[in-house]
Amino acid sequence: MVGLFGFLRRTLTELWQAVLPPRYFSWQTVIYMSLFSWLVSMLARLLAATAFTVGLLATISWICLALGVGWALEANKVRLFGIPVAPWVSGAILCLFLFGSWGGRWLQPALVSWPLVSFAVIAVPSLVSWDFDLKKPPPMVRQQLALLFCLSLLFSSWFQFYFRIQSWVRDYPSLVADSVDNSAFVYRFPGQEVALPAGVTHLTIAEETLREQIDNKPWPSVERWLLNLEGQRQALQRRVQSQMGRDASLEDSLWRLDFQPLSNADGYTLKLWAIWSGPAANEDGYYLEKTCLLMPVNRGGLIDTENAAPGYTTTQWASLTCDLQTPRQAGHPRGTQQQGLS
Amino acid sequence: MPINDLLSELGILPLRAIAVQSMLLMVAIVLEAMVLRQQLRLGYRTSMQYAATLNLLATSLGWVAFLALEAVLPLSLRSQVISYVLFNRFYTNSWRDALPVVVVVAAIAAFFVTYWIKLQGLLWLLQLLGQKPAENTAEAIESDRRQRYERARRAQIEGRQGGTSPRALAMLQANAASFTAILVLLLLINQSGVLGW
Repeated sequence: MVGLFGFLRRTLTELWQAVLPPRYFSWQTVIYMSLFSWLVSMLARLLAATAFTVGLLATISWICLALGVGWALEANKVRLFGIPVAPWVSGAILCLFLFGSWGGRWLQPALVSWPLVSFAVIAVPSLVSWDFDLKKPPPMVRQQLALLFCLSLLFSSWFQFYFRIQSWVRDYPSLVADSVDNSAFVYRFPGQEVALPAGVTHLTIAEETLREQIDNKPWPSVERWLLNLEGQRQALQRRVQSQMGRDASLEDSLWRLDFQPLSNADGYTLKLWAIWSGPAANEDGYYLEKTCLLMPVNRGGLIDTENAAPGYTTTQWASLTCDLQTPRQAGHPRGTQQQGLS
Repeated sequence: MPINDLLSELGILPLRAIAVQSMLLMVAIVLEAMVLRQQLRLGYRTSMQYAATLNLLATSLGWVAFLALEAVLPLSLRSQVISYVLFNRFYTNSWRDALPVVVVVAAIAAFFVTYWIKLQGLLWLLQLLGQKPAENTAEAIESDRRQRYERARRAQIEGRQGGTSPRALAMLQANAASFTAILVLLLLINQSGVLGW
C-alpha cells in the first residue's frame, strides 16, 4: 500500500517537473499562456461574452502560440539543412491566424505572405528594442536582413506564380487535358488522371441539337435541311454557345464547332468536330471528332397499312445514331481534308 | 494513394521554373561577384553578399513586374504567355507574327531595367550599410593614386574617367557577364534538352 503511494507520488513529481517550466521566462510559460488564453476564450464563448472579448482572447492565444513554438524551436536549435526553422514556423502560425479566419480562398494570401511574415518575425527583434524604440543593428546584420528580404520576396513570388497558373487553369480548363512535358516552367507529377477537354461537352450539346432537328423527321425534309449547310453550321454554333452560356468560361471562344456530311450508301456519315484554336502542346493543335450515322429507314412495317394515311408507308424517316467516343486528332479537320483532295 | 491524391489536388506546379531559376541565379551571383570584386576591389565575402542581394532584388522585382503585367495584358497576348509557360511554344493567333520582335525588345528592355535596378540597389545597399555612396570608393582610389603619381598623371586619369563612376561601369560589366551566361545556358537547355526534358 505504502509502495503504491510512493510510486504514485514519485510519478506525480516527475510529471510536475516535466510540465513545470524551469524558469518563468521560458518558452513553456508562453505556451501555457497560449493554452490558458484559448481555454478562457472557449469559456467566454460558452458564457456568451461579447465577440470582442472572445476575439481578443483568441488573438492573444494565437500570438502566444507563435511566440512559444518559435522560441521552443530556437531554444532546441532545430535546423533543417543548417537553416533555423523557428521563424518560418512562427510565420506560418501567424499566417494561419491572420488569414485562416477569412474563409473561402484563404490559402492564397496566407501562402503568398508567409515568407514576408517570416521575414518580419526575423527582422523585428533586431530592429525594435524592448522599449519599442527603433534601433540600428550593426552593418553585418543589416546586410543579412537585406538579403533575407529579397529572398523572401522571391519565395513569395514563386507562390504567387503557382496561384497564377491555377487561375489560368480555371479560365481555360482544357489546358489541363494537354501534356506539359515540353514546358520549361511547370511540371505535373505523372500518374494523375487527366481531365477531358471541354470540347466533349460542346460535342454532346451539338449532338442533342442535331437530334432535335433531324432525327425522326421525314427523309426529304432532312435532305432539304442538308442543302443549307453553311446556315446550319452557324445555327449550330450559336445554339451551342448559348447553351454553354450558363457556365461560360474564357475558353469557350477558342472552341469552333463544325460538321460535314459525307455520302455513305443510302444515307450520310456526319462528322462533328470541336476544333481547339487555343494554346496546345502539339504544333498543329488538335480537334475532337464525333462520328454520326444519318440513315433513311422504312417505318412501313410498324403501322397497319390500311389505317395509315395514304403515302405514309412509302415515306422514309431519318434516324441518327452517334458514337460515344470522341477521339482526339492532331491538326485541323479542314486542313487535312483539303490536303486529301488536292 | 493519399500522396497521389495530394499531388493531383496541387495540379500543375512551377517546379521547373524554380529549379532553373535557382541554377541561373547561382551562376549569375558567382559571375557578378567576380566582376565586382575585381573592379571595385571588394573583399571576397563582401562582393558575394552584394551580388547575391542585388540579383535577388532584381529577380523578385522582375517577378512582381511580370505578375502585375500579366494580369492587365489583353486576352490574346495573355493566352500566348500561357502557351509559352505551359507548352514552351507560341500558338497561332493574331499576335503570332509580332511575337519574335516583342520578345527581343522585351529582352533588351529587361537588360537595361535590370542594370538600372542593380545600380540603384547598390547605392541603396551602400547607404544602408552606412558607407558613403558615390564618392567614397572613387575618392579613396584617387587619393591613393595622388600619393603615388604626380599631378599631370592624375589629371589624365580624371579626364579618361570623364565623370562615369567606377561603380556604374563595374555594374554594367557584371550585368553583361551574367546576362550573357544566362542566355547561353538557356539556349543550351532549349537546344539539346540537357536536363532530359
